[in-house]
Amino acid sequence: MIRIRGLTKDYDRRQILRGVDLSIDAGEMVFLTGPSGAGKTTLLRMLYAAEQPTSGEVWVAGSRVDTLSRSELPALRRKVGIIFQDFKLLRRKTVLENVTFVLRFHGIPPRESHRRAYKVLKRLGLHHRQSALPESLSGGEQQRVAIARALVYQPRLILADEPTGNLDADLASELLSLLCDINYQGATVVLATHDHTLLESLPARTLVLHRGGIGYDGMWPP
Amino acid sequence: MMRHALAEGWLLLRNRGLISPVLAMALAIPISLAGVTLSVRQWLAPVITLGDRENVVTVLLHPRLDKAGRQGWMSDQVQSHPEWELMAVEPEELAVRLAAWFPYLEEVLEREGPEMLPPMVEVRTREPESVLELKDHVEVLAIGPTSSVNRVVGKVARRFAFVLISVAGALVAGAVLLGAIWVHLELHRNAEEIAIMRLMGATEATVRGPFLVAVAVPALLAAVLSVVSTVVVVGWMAQLVAPLGLVAAGVPLAVLVFQVVAAVGLPLAAAVVTLERYA
Repeated sequence: MIRIRGLTKDYDRRQILRGVDLSIDAGEMVFLTGPSGAGKTTLLRMLYAAEQPTSGEVWVAGSRVDTLSRSELPALRRKVGIIFQDFKLLRRKTVLENVTFVLRFHGIPPRESHRRAYKVLKRLGLHHRQSALPESLSGGEQQRVAIARALVYQPRLILADEPTGNLDADLASELLSLLCDINYQGATVVLATHDHTLLESLPARTLVLHRGGIGYDGMWPP
Repeated sequence: MMRHALAEGWLLLRNRGLISPVLAMALAIPISLAGVTLSVRQWLAPVITLGDRENVVTVLLHPRLDKAGRQGWMSDQVQSHPEWELMAVEPEELAVRLAAWFPYLEEVLEREGPEMLPPMVEVRTREPESVLELKDHVEVLAIGPTSSVNRVVGKVARRFAFVLISVAGALVAGAVLLGAIWVHLELHRNAEEIAIMRLMGATEATVRGPFLVAVAVPALLAAVLSVVSTVVVVGWMAQLVAPLGLVAAGVPLAVLVFQVVAAVGLPLAAAVVTLERYA
């Protein structure tokens, strides 16, 4: 599902990633961890072409992402469910509209969109707030809306950047369980986190970013 | 796709509130003025053609110049001034003209015969003053009046029409600039949402569609306002100038078509370019 060869990323002459090689098969659940500034978010952003690598190759779902043209990007991004650290919700749209909005890009009719969105929101315990605007939600609720939006079109690849950062322990555990279910149904999940409690709660392949490279690649706890 | 563009475009318009009609007015004003200007320019068209009319200047040649000499001199002038049309006035014809203007010469002319008259040539040209250059020719005795009132009036009208066209162009350019700034500000206001939509897999058409709808609606309104206000203002002006005897027609159809194209097409084109460059 994901293949990275010799990936390097520089910011203002500071090297964030150095020659990263990585392969993630379809259906895997992978944790990506490391200290702040290790390059977790940068690596994820390059997987959905929000950033270009300085050098190296990035392949996602059979497409070489780093050479895609602007017109080819939407097709790639529609295959990927992205959960952003800063939620990236549309401020002028309600919770339900934020979730259904993305289904328009997949050509799903409004009625079916509403049905699917309601189902996901219900699963995340947000169905009673479907008419609320994002600004009236707590950080945790906004995070769950962002998660619902990423899951609603059942993508084959989910990239989650610190998805539990704003959730309490119970909700974090519930989210992890949800992602496990989705992974169990065949989706590939890559979850970036620095939350060791989360890592220890579920034995899974873990990549530890260290000094710009992958310092550890294996099951966690080791 | 179209439904998305219409729904989101409508939301953009609704969020703006009164800004959309104000913007439509702001677009309509320069385009209406351009329409009025172009209509007035149309009225000038008959006056402009005055400048293209040919004037006739008479040239009296030296009496010692015989018919062959006159023919030779005329051939030289035709070669050096291809824009001139030269016609020899035969002595008999000249005698008739003179007698008509000065009856007391009739007797002398009868007695002496028309051969005593100096040879005369008429020069037909659009630049009558240019004939004055012949005054230094030894063959030329005198040059008649080089009246160019028509030409001057035509020239002034042409220049005025050019100024009117320039003013109309500047007004339309202002309208386009307004449309481009408007889209630019909208893009700036919605930059975050556009970025999110793209990250969610929205195509360029999906991103741009709502903005184009949000431009097209006030632009259509501006087109209607421009056409109506131009017809009203030009009708009023036509009544004012009617006593002067000018051709005070209404607004030419071409001007109305131009206004619709300018009000709808140009802001949309500006929006497409702005979206292409900055979205």
